[in-house]
Amino acid sequence: MPPASADLAIDVAHLAKSYRDLVAVADLSLAIARGETFGFLGKNGAGKTTSVKMLLGLTKPTSGTGTLLGKPLGDRGARAKVGYLPELFRYHDWMTAREELAFHAGLAGVAHADRPRMIAEILDMVGLTRRANDPIGTYSKGMQQRVGIGVAVLGKPDLVFLDEPTSALDPVGRRDVREMVRALKERGVAVFLNSHLLSEVEQMCDRVAIVDRGRIVASGKLADVIGGAVGVRLRLGDPSESALQILRGYGAVSITGEWHVVTGADREAVPALIRELAAAGAAIYAIEPLKATLEERFMEVMTA
Amino acid sequence: MTIAAIATLTLHEMLRRRLILVAAILTVFVAILTGFGFHALATQMYHGAPLSQVRVIGLTAQLLTLVAYMFSLVFALGGAFAAAPTIASDVDTGLLLPMLTRPIRRVEIVLGKFLGLALFLSAYAFACGLVEFAVVRIATGYWPPHPFVALGYLCGVAIVMVSVTLLFSSRLSMIASGIAAVVLFGLAWIVGIAADIGGGAHNQAMVDAGTISQLVLPSDAFWRAAVYHLEPAALVASLHGSSPFAVAAPPPPAMIAWAIGWIVVVVGCACWSFATRDF
Repeated sequence: MPPASADLAIDVAHLAKSYRDLVAVADLSLAIARGETFGFLGKNGAGKTTSVKMLLGLTKPTSGTGTLLGKPLGDRGARAKVGYLPELFRYHDWMTAREELAFHAGLAGVAHADRPRMIAEILDMVGLTRRANDPIGTYSKGMQQRVGIGVAVLGKPDLVFLDEPTSALDPVGRRDVREMVRALKERGVAVFLNSHLLSEVEQMCDRVAIVDRGRIVASGKLADVIGGAVGVRLRLGDPSESALQILRGYGAVSITGEWHVVTGADREAVPALIRELAAAGAAIYAIEPLKATLEERFMEVMTA
Repeated sequence: MTIAAIATLTLHEMLRRRLILVAAILTVFVAILTGFGFHALATQMYHGAPLSQVRVIGLTAQLLTLVAYMFSLVFALGGAFAAAPTIASDVDTGLLLPMLTRPIRRVEIVLGKFLGLALFLSAYAFACGLVEFAVVRIATGYWPPHPFVALGYLCGVAIVMVSVTLLFSSRLSMIASGIAAVVLFGLAWIVGIAADIGGGAHNQAMVDAGTISQLVLPSDAFWRAAVYHLEPAALVASLHGSSPFAVAAPPPPAMIAWAIGWIVVVVGCACWSFATRDF
Protein backbone atom coordinates (compact mmCIF):
# COMPACT_ATOMS: atom_id res chain seq x y z
CA MET A 1 0.00 0.00 0.00
CA PRO A 2 1.48 3.38 -0.94
CA PRO A 3 2.21 5.73 1.97
CA ALA A 4 -0.48 8.25 2.92
CA SER A 5 0.01 11.83 1.78
CA ALA A 6 0.94 12.95 5.31
CA ASP A 7 3.83 10.44 5.34
CA LEU A 8 5.20 11.88 2.16
CA ALA A 9 7.50 14.86 2.03
CA ILE A 10 6.36 15.62 -1.50
CA ASP A 11 3.23 14.31 -3.19
CA VAL A 12 2.26 16.03 -6.42
CA ALA A 13 0.19 14.96 -9.41
CA HIS A 14 0.31 16.29 -12.96
CA LEU A 15 1.90 19.64 -12.16
CA ALA A 16 2.36 21.75 -15.28
CA LYS A 17 3.65 25.22 -15.98
CA SER A 18 3.41 27.15 -19.22
CA TYR A 19 4.50 30.66 -20.09
CA ARG A 20 2.29 31.61 -23.03
CA ASP A 21 3.43 29.16 -25.74
CA LEU A 22 6.43 27.88 -23.81
CA VAL A 23 5.86 24.71 -21.81
CA ALA A 24 8.37 24.71 -18.95
CA VAL A 25 6.92 21.67 -17.16
CA ALA A 26 4.48 19.43 -19.04
CA ASP A 27 3.56 16.82 -16.44
CA LEU A 28 5.22 16.28 -13.09
CA SER A 29 4.01 13.62 -10.70
CA LEU A 30 6.19 12.74 -7.72
CA ALA A 31 5.87 10.97 -4.39
CA ILE A 32 8.89 11.33 -2.14
CA ALA A 33 8.90 9.82 1.32
CA ARG A 34 10.10 11.59 4.44
CA GLY A 35 13.75 10.78 5.03
CA GLU A 36 14.37 9.93 1.39
CA THR A 37 17.19 11.46 -0.66
CA PHE A 38 15.86 12.10 -4.13
CA GLY A 39 17.91 13.07 -7.18
CA PHE A 40 16.25 15.16 -9.88
CA LEU A 41 18.22 15.08 -13.11
CA GLY A 42 17.90 16.64 -16.50
CA LYS A 43 19.58 18.77 -19.11
CA ASN A 44 19.66 22.56 -18.87
CA GLY A 45 16.18 23.87 -19.65
CA ALA A 46 14.53 20.52 -18.91
CA GLY A 47 12.24 22.13 -16.31
CA LYS A 48 14.09 21.18 -13.10
CA THR A 49 14.27 24.62 -11.51
CA THR A 50 10.70 25.50 -12.51
CA SER A 51 9.59 22.22 -10.92
CA VAL A 52 11.40 23.07 -7.68
CA LYS A 53 9.90 26.57 -7.68
CA MET A 54 6.40 25.14 -8.12
CA LEU A 55 6.97 22.73 -5.24
CA LEU A 56 8.18 25.61 -3.06
CA GLY A 57 5.24 27.86 -3.96
CA LEU A 58 7.49 30.39 -5.70
CA THR A 59 5.76 29.76 -9.02
CA LYS A 60 2.09 28.98 -9.42
CA PRO A 61 1.40 25.84 -11.48
CA THR A 62 -0.76 26.26 -14.56
CA SER A 63 -2.45 23.00 -13.57
CA GLY A 64 -2.05 20.10 -11.18
CA THR A 65 -2.16 19.76 -7.43
CA GLY A 66 -0.09 18.42 -4.61
CA THR A 67 1.14 18.59 -1.05
CA LEU A 68 4.39 19.41 0.66
CA LEU A 69 4.82 17.79 4.09
CA GLY A 70 1.11 16.96 3.97
CA LYS A 71 -0.03 20.53 3.30
CA PRO A 72 -1.09 22.18 0.04
CA LEU A 73 1.69 23.63 -2.13
CA GLY A 74 2.54 27.18 -1.00
CA ASP A 75 1.14 26.64 2.52
CA ARG A 76 2.99 28.81 5.06
CA GLY A 77 2.88 26.14 7.76
CA ALA A 78 4.71 23.67 5.52
CA ARG A 79 7.33 26.29 4.64
CA ALA A 80 8.33 26.49 8.31
CA LYS A 81 9.86 23.04 7.86
CA VAL A 82 11.42 23.51 4.44
CA GLY A 83 14.93 24.68 3.55
CA TYR A 84 16.08 25.84 0.12
CA LEU A 85 19.41 26.48 -1.54
CA PRO A 86 18.74 28.11 -4.95
CA GLU A 87 20.93 27.38 -7.95
CA LEU A 88 21.75 31.09 -8.29
CA PHE A 89 22.43 31.76 -4.64
CA ARG A 90 22.98 35.25 -3.31
CA TYR A 91 22.97 36.53 0.25
CA HIS A 92 23.27 40.00 1.80
CA ASP A 93 26.90 40.85 1.02
CA TRP A 94 27.01 43.52 3.74
CA MET A 95 25.96 41.04 6.44
CA THR A 96 28.21 38.55 8.19
CA ALA A 97 27.39 34.85 7.90
CA ARG A 98 26.29 34.90 11.54
CA GLU A 99 23.93 37.83 10.88
CA GLU A 100 22.50 36.20 7.74
CA LEU A 101 21.76 33.01 9.65
CA ALA A 102 20.24 35.04 12.53
CA PHE A 103 18.05 36.93 10.05
CA HIS A 104 16.78 33.68 8.51
CA ALA A 105 16.32 32.17 11.96
CA GLY A 106 13.97 35.07 12.70
CA LEU A 107 12.04 34.54 9.46
CA ALA A 108 11.88 30.78 10.12
CA GLY A 109 10.39 31.42 13.56
CA VAL A 110 13.26 29.86 15.53
CA ALA A 111 12.91 30.79 19.22
CA HIS A 112 15.27 33.58 20.35
CA ALA A 113 16.80 31.41 23.04
CA ASP A 114 17.67 28.65 20.56
CA ARG A 115 19.27 30.88 17.93
CA PRO A 116 22.86 31.32 19.22
CA ARG A 117 23.41 27.57 19.74
CA MET A 118 21.71 26.62 16.46
CA ILE A 119 23.70 29.20 14.48
CA ALA A 120 26.99 28.11 16.09
CA GLU A 121 26.23 24.47 15.16
CA ILE A 122 25.42 25.36 11.57
CA LEU A 123 28.52 27.55 11.19
CA ASP A 124 30.57 24.64 12.43
CA MET A 125 28.80 22.20 10.12
CA VAL A 126 29.41 24.31 6.99
CA GLY A 127 32.95 25.15 8.07
CA LEU A 128 32.52 28.91 8.47
CA THR A 129 33.09 29.39 12.20
CA ARG A 130 36.42 31.16 11.66
CA ARG A 131 34.97 33.65 9.15
CA ALA A 132 31.52 33.94 10.76
CA ASN A 133 31.95 37.60 11.66
CA ASP A 134 33.29 38.77 8.28
CA PRO A 135 30.96 40.32 5.68
CA ILE A 136 29.68 37.78 3.13
CA GLY A 137 30.88 40.15 0.39
CA THR A 138 34.45 39.21 1.31
CA TYR A 139 33.80 35.46 0.91
CA SER A 140 34.79 33.29 -2.06
CA LYS A 141 31.97 31.84 -4.18
CA GLY A 142 32.41 28.49 -2.46
CA MET A 143 32.14 30.06 0.99
CA GLN A 144 28.98 31.89 -0.08
CA GLN A 145 27.54 28.55 -1.18
CA ARG A 146 28.37 27.20 2.26
CA VAL A 147 26.37 30.11 3.75
CA GLY A 148 23.50 29.09 1.47
CA ILE A 149 23.68 25.48 2.61
CA GLY A 150 23.68 26.72 6.22
CA VAL A 151 20.59 28.85 5.52
CA ALA A 152 18.88 25.85 3.89
CA VAL A 153 19.37 23.53 6.88
CA LEU A 154 18.51 26.19 9.48
CA GLY A 155 15.50 25.63 11.71
CA LYS A 156 15.50 21.80 11.72
CA PRO A 157 13.71 21.36 8.37
CA ASP A 158 11.91 18.14 7.41
CA LEU A 159 12.56 18.74 3.72
CA VAL A 160 15.55 20.42 2.08
CA PHE A 161 15.81 21.44 -1.58
CA LEU A 162 19.39 21.68 -2.79
CA ASP A 163 19.71 23.06 -6.32
CA GLU A 164 23.24 22.33 -7.58
CA PRO A 165 24.63 22.45 -4.03
CA THR A 166 28.25 21.81 -5.01
CA SER A 167 28.52 23.99 -8.13
CA ALA A 168 30.98 26.41 -6.48
CA LEU A 169 32.68 23.98 -4.09
CA ASP A 170 36.12 22.40 -4.22
CA PRO A 171 36.55 18.61 -3.72
CA VAL A 172 36.71 19.04 0.07
CA GLY A 173 33.50 21.07 0.02
CA ARG A 174 31.81 18.46 -2.14
CA ARG A 175 32.74 15.72 0.28
CA ASP A 176 31.41 17.88 3.14
CA VAL A 177 28.08 18.28 1.32
CA ARG A 178 27.84 14.52 0.77
CA GLU A 179 28.44 13.93 4.47
CA MET A 180 25.91 16.61 5.37
CA VAL A 181 23.26 15.04 3.13
CA ARG A 182 23.93 11.68 4.78
CA ALA A 183 23.58 13.31 8.21
CA LEU A 184 20.27 14.87 7.15
CA LYS A 185 19.06 11.47 5.97
CA GLU A 186 20.00 9.93 9.31
CA ARG A 187 17.89 12.61 11.02
CA GLY A 188 14.93 11.65 8.81
CA VAL A 189 15.11 14.75 6.63
CA ALA A 190 14.01 14.38 3.02
CA VAL A 191 16.47 15.88 0.55
CA PHE A 192 15.50 16.92 -2.98
CA LEU A 193 18.72 17.22 -4.91
CA ASN A 194 19.08 18.91 -8.29
CA SER A 195 22.50 18.26 -9.68
CA HIS A 196 24.41 17.95 -12.92
CA LEU A 197 27.11 16.01 -11.12
CA LEU A 198 25.71 12.55 -11.72
CA SER A 199 28.46 10.80 -9.78
CA GLU A 200 27.40 12.74 -6.70
CA VAL A 201 23.74 11.90 -7.22
CA GLU A 202 24.80 8.27 -7.54
CA GLN A 203 26.62 8.46 -4.21
CA MET A 204 23.90 10.30 -2.29
CA CYS A 205 20.45 9.44 -3.62
CA ASP A 206 18.04 6.59 -2.88
CA ARG A 207 15.86 7.33 -5.86
CA VAL A 208 16.19 9.46 -8.96
CA ALA A 209 14.02 10.89 -11.71
CA ILE A 210 15.29 12.02 -15.08
CA VAL A 211 13.31 14.86 -16.59
CA ASP A 212 13.36 15.92 -20.22
CA ARG A 213 11.30 18.67 -21.86
CA GLY A 214 9.18 19.02 -18.74
CA ARG A 215 8.34 15.32 -18.36
CA ILE A 216 9.79 12.55 -16.24
CA VAL A 217 11.28 10.05 -18.68
CA ALA A 218 12.80 7.64 -16.16
CA SER A 219 12.39 7.27 -12.41
CA GLY A 220 12.77 4.79 -9.62
CA LYS A 221 15.33 3.40 -7.22
CA LEU A 222 18.85 4.26 -8.26
CA ALA A 223 19.74 0.61 -8.97
CA ASP A 224 16.59 0.14 -11.07
CA VAL A 225 17.21 3.25 -13.13
CA ILE A 226 20.83 2.34 -13.75
CA GLY A 227 19.88 -1.26 -14.53
CA GLY A 228 21.74 -4.48 -13.83
CA ALA A 229 25.19 -5.60 -14.84
CA VAL A 230 26.22 -4.98 -18.43
CA GLY A 231 29.10 -7.43 -18.43
CA VAL A 232 32.01 -8.99 -16.65
CA ARG A 233 35.69 -8.23 -16.86
CA LEU A 234 38.48 -10.68 -16.11
CA ARG A 235 42.25 -10.53 -15.71
CA LEU A 236 43.61 -13.80 -17.03
CA GLY A 237 47.16 -15.10 -17.30
CA ASP A 238 47.84 -15.67 -21.04
CA PRO A 239 44.46 -17.34 -21.89
CA SER A 240 44.41 -20.28 -24.27
CA GLU A 241 42.13 -20.42 -27.32
CA SER A 242 39.80 -22.78 -25.43
CA ALA A 243 39.51 -20.26 -22.56
CA LEU A 244 38.68 -17.49 -25.03
CA GLN A 245 36.09 -19.77 -26.60
CA ILE A 246 34.46 -20.18 -23.19
CA LEU A 247 34.36 -16.40 -22.77
CA ARG A 248 32.74 -15.97 -26.20
CA GLY A 249 30.04 -18.37 -25.04
CA TYR A 250 28.96 -15.76 -22.47
CA GLY A 251 29.04 -12.65 -24.66
CA ALA A 252 31.07 -10.41 -26.94
CA VAL A 253 34.72 -10.37 -25.89
CA SER A 254 36.97 -7.35 -26.11
CA ILE A 255 40.32 -6.49 -24.57
CA THR A 256 40.88 -3.27 -22.58
CA GLY A 257 44.42 -3.07 -21.26
CA GLU A 258 45.07 -6.22 -19.28
CA TRP A 259 41.33 -6.93 -18.93
CA HIS A 260 39.16 -9.20 -21.03
CA VAL A 261 35.66 -7.68 -21.09
CA VAL A 262 32.69 -9.97 -21.73
CA THR A 263 29.78 -7.73 -22.63
CA GLY A 264 26.38 -9.30 -22.01
CA ALA A 265 27.42 -11.66 -19.20
CA ASP A 266 25.48 -10.92 -16.05
CA ARG A 267 26.38 -11.26 -12.37
CA GLU A 268 24.59 -14.62 -12.06
CA ALA A 269 26.82 -16.17 -14.72
CA VAL A 270 30.05 -15.46 -12.84
CA PRO A 271 30.30 -18.72 -10.78
CA ALA A 272 29.69 -20.92 -13.82
CA LEU A 273 32.16 -18.89 -15.88
CA ILE A 274 34.83 -19.32 -13.21
CA ARG A 275 34.21 -23.06 -13.00
CA GLU A 276 34.50 -23.50 -16.78
CA LEU A 277 37.64 -21.39 -17.04
CA ALA A 278 39.26 -23.22 -14.13
CA ALA A 279 38.41 -26.56 -15.72
CA ALA A 280 40.06 -25.36 -18.94
CA GLY A 281 43.21 -24.55 -16.95
CA ALA A 282 42.96 -20.77 -17.27
CA ALA A 283 44.76 -18.68 -14.64
CA ILE A 284 42.18 -16.23 -13.18
CA TYR A 285 43.72 -13.28 -11.28
CA ALA A 286 40.61 -11.11 -10.99
CA ILE A 287 36.98 -11.01 -12.06
CA GLU A 288 34.31 -8.38 -11.50
CA PRO A 289 30.83 -7.63 -12.83
CA LEU A 290 30.52 -4.35 -14.74
CA LYS A 291 27.57 -1.99 -14.12
CA ALA A 292 26.44 0.99 -16.11
CA THR A 293 26.99 4.34 -14.39
CA LEU A 294 24.20 6.81 -13.84
CA GLU A 295 25.93 9.04 -16.36
CA GLU A 296 25.77 6.31 -19.02
CA ARG A 297 22.11 5.65 -18.24
CA PHE A 298 21.40 9.40 -18.29
CA MET A 299 23.05 9.79 -21.70
CA GLU A 300 21.15 6.78 -22.97
CA VAL A 301 17.82 8.27 -21.88
CA MET A 302 18.66 11.70 -23.24
CA THR A 303 19.64 10.41 -26.65
CA ALA A 304 16.76 7.92 -26.94
CA MET B 1 6.98 40.96 13.45
CA THR B 2 8.19 40.04 9.96
CA ILE B 3 7.34 43.54 8.70
CA ALA B 4 9.48 45.01 11.50
CA ALA B 5 12.31 42.57 10.68
CA ILE B 6 12.28 43.53 6.98
CA ALA B 7 12.05 47.27 7.83
CA THR B 8 15.01 46.89 10.21
CA LEU B 9 16.91 45.00 7.51
CA THR B 10 16.27 47.86 5.05
CA LEU B 11 17.48 50.49 7.54
CA HIS B 12 20.43 48.33 8.56
CA GLU B 13 21.46 47.94 4.92
CA MET B 14 21.37 51.71 4.35
CA LEU B 15 23.50 52.21 7.45
CA ARG B 16 26.04 49.53 6.45
CA ARG B 17 26.23 50.71 2.87
CA ARG B 18 27.09 54.17 4.29
CA LEU B 19 24.07 55.79 2.66
CA ILE B 20 23.16 57.45 5.94
CA LEU B 21 26.75 58.67 6.42
CA VAL B 22 26.88 60.14 2.91
CA ALA B 23 23.47 61.78 3.38
CA ALA B 24 24.61 63.29 6.69
CA ILE B 25 27.84 64.65 5.21
CA LEU B 26 25.99 66.19 2.24
CA THR B 27 23.41 67.74 4.58
CA VAL B 28 26.14 69.39 6.65
CA PHE B 29 27.86 70.56 3.46
CA VAL B 30 24.64 72.12 2.10
CA ALA B 31 23.85 73.69 5.49
CA ILE B 32 27.29 75.33 5.70
CA LEU B 33 27.10 76.57 2.10
CA THR B 34 23.58 77.99 2.39
CA GLY B 35 24.47 79.39 5.85
CA PHE B 36 27.16 81.55 4.24
CA GLY B 37 24.66 82.69 1.63
CA PHE B 38 21.94 83.63 4.13
CA HIS B 39 24.51 85.33 6.36
CA ALA B 40 25.66 87.42 3.39
CA LEU B 41 22.06 88.35 2.60
CA ALA B 42 21.48 89.58 6.15
CA THR B 43 24.73 91.48 6.61
CA GLN B 44 25.80 92.84 3.24
CA MET B 45 25.34 96.55 2.48
CA TYR B 46 23.10 97.59 -0.39
CA HIS B 47 23.61 101.17 -1.66
CA GLY B 48 25.48 102.00 1.53
CA ALA B 49 22.91 100.59 3.97
CA PRO B 50 21.94 97.14 5.21
CA LEU B 51 18.60 95.67 4.17
CA SER B 52 15.73 96.21 6.60
CA GLN B 53 14.79 93.21 8.74
CA VAL B 54 11.40 93.03 6.98
CA ARG B 55 13.17 92.86 3.58
CA VAL B 56 15.65 90.25 4.89
CA ILE B 57 12.81 88.09 6.18
CA GLY B 58 10.91 88.39 2.89
CA LEU B 59 13.92 87.45 0.78
CA THR B 60 14.96 84.69 3.18
CA ALA B 61 11.49 83.12 3.05
CA GLN B 62 11.62 83.02 -0.76
CA LEU B 63 15.20 81.71 -0.87
CA LEU B 64 14.36 79.10 1.77
CA THR B 65 11.63 77.83 -0.55
CA LEU B 66 14.27 77.37 -3.25
CA VAL B 67 16.49 75.44 -0.82
CA ALA B 68 13.47 73.36 0.19
CA TYR B 69 12.82 72.69 -3.49
CA MET B 70 16.33 71.38 -3.89
CA PHE B 71 15.75 69.12 -0.88
CA SER B 72 12.37 67.97 -2.22
CA LEU B 73 14.09 66.86 -5.44
CA VAL B 74 16.64 64.97 -3.35
CA PHE B 75 13.87 63.29 -1.33
CA ALA B 76 11.80 62.45 -4.42
CA LEU B 77 14.69 61.12 -6.49
CA GLY B 78 16.19 59.51 -3.37
CA GLY B 79 12.85 57.75 -2.82
CA ALA B 80 12.85 56.48 -6.40
CA PHE B 81 16.50 55.40 -6.41
CA ALA B 82 16.27 53.72 -3.00
CA ALA B 83 13.02 51.90 -3.82
CA ALA B 84 13.85 50.81 -7.40
CA PRO B 85 16.39 48.10 -6.46
CA THR B 86 14.78 47.09 -3.19
CA ILE B 87 12.54 44.44 -4.76
CA ALA B 88 13.57 44.27 -8.44
CA SER B 89 17.28 43.85 -7.80
CA ASP B 90 16.70 41.39 -4.96
CA VAL B 91 14.55 39.31 -7.31
CA ASP B 92 17.02 39.52 -10.21
CA THR B 93 19.99 38.46 -8.08
CA GLY B 94 18.06 35.69 -6.33
CA LEU B 95 18.49 37.29 -2.91
CA LEU B 96 14.76 37.05 -2.18
CA LEU B 97 14.31 33.39 -3.13
CA PRO B 98 15.45 31.79 0.15
CA MET B 99 13.50 34.46 2.07
CA LEU B 100 10.29 33.76 0.14
CA THR B 101 10.42 30.07 1.09
CA ARG B 102 10.25 30.99 4.78
CA PRO B 103 6.87 30.88 6.55
CA ILE B 104 6.15 34.54 5.81
CA ARG B 105 3.67 36.38 3.61
CA ARG B 106 5.02 38.15 0.54
CA VAL B 107 2.94 41.18 1.56
CA GLU B 108 5.09 41.44 4.69
CA ILE B 109 8.22 41.86 2.56
CA VAL B 110 6.68 44.73 0.57
CA LEU B 111 5.28 46.45 3.67
CA GLY B 112 8.56 45.99 5.55
CA LYS B 113 10.56 47.52 2.72
CA PHE B 114 8.04 50.37 2.36
CA LEU B 115 8.17 51.06 6.08
CA GLY B 116 11.99 50.99 6.19
CA LEU B 117 12.34 53.34 3.23
CA ALA B 118 9.58 55.69 4.43
CA LEU B 119 11.14 55.87 7.90
CA PHE B 120 14.61 56.51 6.51
CA LEU B 121 13.47 59.23 4.09
CA SER B 122 11.21 60.87 6.70
CA ALA B 123 13.99 60.92 9.29
CA TYR B 124 16.33 62.30 6.64
CA ALA B 125 13.80 64.97 5.60
CA PHE B 126 13.25 66.11 9.20
CA ALA B 127 16.97 66.08 10.00
CA CYS B 128 17.90 68.04 6.86
CA GLY B 129 15.02 70.45 7.24
CA LEU B 130 15.61 71.22 10.90
CA VAL B 131 19.37 71.67 10.37
CA GLU B 132 18.67 74.04 7.48
CA PHE B 133 16.01 76.00 9.40
CA ALA B 134 18.40 76.33 12.36
CA VAL B 135 21.17 77.62 10.08
CA VAL B 136 18.76 80.16 8.55
CA ARG B 137 17.60 81.23 12.01
CA ILE B 138 21.20 81.80 13.13
CA ALA B 139 22.12 83.65 9.92
CA THR B 140 19.02 85.82 9.48
CA GLY B 141 16.75 85.43 12.51
CA TYR B 142 13.99 83.95 10.29
CA TRP B 143 12.06 80.84 11.32
CA PRO B 144 9.33 79.54 8.98
CA PRO B 145 5.77 79.66 10.33
CA HIS B 146 4.94 75.91 10.26
CA PRO B 147 8.25 74.05 9.88
CA PHE B 148 7.06 70.66 11.13
CA VAL B 149 3.93 70.66 8.98
CA ALA B 150 6.01 71.69 5.96
CA LEU B 151 8.53 68.92 6.62
CA GLY B 152 5.67 66.44 7.03
CA TYR B 153 4.45 67.32 3.54
CA LEU B 154 8.00 67.03 2.18
CA CYS B 155 8.05 63.51 3.61
CA GLY B 156 4.84 63.00 1.63
CA VAL B 157 6.73 63.80 -1.60
CA ALA B 158 9.32 61.12 -0.77
CA ILE B 159 6.70 58.57 0.31
CA VAL B 160 4.68 59.06 -2.89
CA MET B 161 7.82 58.29 -4.88
CA VAL B 162 8.70 55.26 -2.71
CA SER B 163 5.16 53.90 -3.17
CA VAL B 164 4.99 54.22 -6.94
CA THR B 165 8.56 52.95 -7.40
CA LEU B 166 7.85 49.92 -5.19
CA LEU B 167 4.82 49.17 -7.35
CA PHE B 168 6.98 49.25 -10.49
CA SER B 169 9.77 47.34 -8.73
CA SER B 170 7.38 44.51 -7.85
CA ARG B 171 7.23 43.55 -11.54
CA LEU B 172 9.78 45.52 -13.58
CA SER B 173 13.57 45.57 -13.57
CA MET B 174 15.44 47.96 -11.31
CA ILE B 175 16.36 50.37 -14.13
CA ALA B 176 12.88 50.35 -15.66
CA SER B 177 11.31 51.00 -12.24
CA GLY B 178 13.61 53.91 -11.43
CA ILE B 179 13.25 55.53 -14.84
CA ALA B 180 9.46 55.11 -14.93
CA ALA B 181 9.10 56.71 -11.49
CA VAL B 182 11.39 59.65 -12.30
CA VAL B 183 9.64 60.29 -15.63
CA LEU B 184 6.27 60.31 -13.86
CA PHE B 185 7.64 62.71 -11.25
CA GLY B 186 9.05 65.07 -13.91
CA LEU B 187 5.80 64.95 -15.85
CA ALA B 188 3.75 65.80 -12.76
CA TRP B 189 6.07 68.71 -11.96
CA ILE B 190 5.93 70.17 -15.50
CA VAL B 191 2.15 69.78 -15.69
CA GLY B 192 1.96 71.58 -12.32
CA ILE B 193 3.89 74.54 -13.76
CA ALA B 194 1.69 74.49 -16.88
CA ALA B 195 -1.37 74.63 -14.61
CA ASP B 196 0.09 77.71 -12.84
CA ILE B 197 0.58 79.38 -16.21
CA GLY B 198 -2.94 78.31 -17.20
CA GLY B 199 -4.29 79.85 -13.96
CA GLY B 200 -2.64 83.18 -14.78
CA ALA B 201 -3.98 83.06 -18.35
CA HIS B 202 -7.46 81.94 -17.17
CA ASN B 203 -7.12 78.73 -19.21
CA GLN B 204 -9.33 76.20 -17.43
CA ALA B 205 -8.10 73.24 -19.52
CA MET B 206 -4.52 73.78 -18.30
CA VAL B 207 -5.72 74.15 -14.71
CA ASP B 208 -7.70 70.91 -15.04
CA ALA B 209 -4.62 69.16 -16.45
CA GLY B 210 -2.73 70.21 -13.32
CA THR B 211 -5.48 68.82 -11.09
CA ILE B 212 -5.58 65.53 -13.00
CA SER B 213 -1.78 65.31 -12.77
CA GLN B 214 -1.94 65.79 -8.99
CA LEU B 215 -4.57 63.06 -8.79
CA VAL B 216 -2.42 60.64 -10.81
CA LEU B 217 0.81 61.37 -8.92
CA PRO B 218 0.21 63.55 -5.86
CA SER B 219 3.87 64.47 -5.24
CA ASP B 220 3.22 68.01 -6.57
CA ALA B 221 0.24 68.42 -4.20
CA PHE B 222 2.45 67.54 -1.22
CA TRP B 223 5.16 69.90 -2.47
CA ARG B 224 2.75 72.83 -2.78
CA ALA B 225 1.33 72.13 0.68
CA ALA B 226 4.91 72.17 2.05
CA VAL B 227 5.72 75.47 0.33
CA TYR B 228 2.55 77.09 1.67
CA HIS B 229 3.49 76.18 5.23
CA LEU B 230 6.98 77.61 4.79
CA GLU B 231 5.70 81.00 3.63
CA PRO B 232 5.07 83.82 6.14
CA ALA B 233 1.56 85.31 6.05
CA ALA B 234 2.86 88.61 4.62
CA LEU B 235 4.37 86.83 1.65
CA VAL B 236 1.17 84.84 1.01
CA ALA B 237 -0.86 88.04 1.15
CA SER B 238 1.35 89.67 -1.49
CA LEU B 239 1.02 86.82 -4.00
CA HIS B 240 -1.28 87.25 -7.03
CA GLY B 241 -0.92 83.73 -8.39
CA SER B 242 0.89 80.48 -7.66
CA SER B 243 4.10 78.99 -8.98
CA PRO B 244 6.09 75.98 -7.77
CA PHE B 245 8.08 78.36 -5.58
CA ALA B 246 5.32 80.65 -4.29
CA VAL B 247 1.94 79.16 -3.40
CA ALA B 248 -0.97 81.53 -2.75
CA ALA B 249 -3.33 78.83 -1.44
CA PRO B 250 -2.63 75.30 -0.20
CA PRO B 251 -4.11 72.30 -1.98
CA PRO B 252 -7.64 71.67 -0.63
CA PRO B 253 -7.95 69.13 2.24
CA ALA B 254 -9.72 66.78 -0.15
CA MET B 255 -6.58 66.68 -2.32
CA ILE B 256 -4.39 65.90 0.70
CA ALA B 257 -6.84 63.18 1.76
CA TRP B 258 -6.73 61.84 -1.80
CA ALA B 259 -2.91 61.86 -1.72
CA ILE B 260 -2.82 59.86 1.53
CA GLY B 261 -5.43 57.43 0.19
CA TRP B 262 -3.40 57.21 -3.04
CA ILE B 263 -0.35 56.05 -1.08
CA VAL B 264 -2.41 53.38 0.69
CA VAL B 265 -3.89 52.11 -2.60
CA VAL B 266 -0.56 52.14 -4.49
CA VAL B 267 1.25 50.28 -1.69
CA GLY B 268 -1.69 47.85 -1.63
CA CYS B 269 -1.29 47.35 -5.39
CA ALA B 270 2.45 46.76 -4.91
CA CYS B 271 1.63 44.09 -2.28
CA TRP B 272 -0.89 42.41 -4.58
CA SER B 273 1.44 42.60 -7.58
CA PHE B 274 4.32 41.03 -5.62
CA ALA B 275 2.12 38.41 -3.96
CA THR B 276 0.72 37.13 -7.26
CA ARG B 277 3.87 37.08 -9.38
CA ASP B 278 5.95 34.04 -10.33
CA PHE B 279 9.64 33.73 -9.57
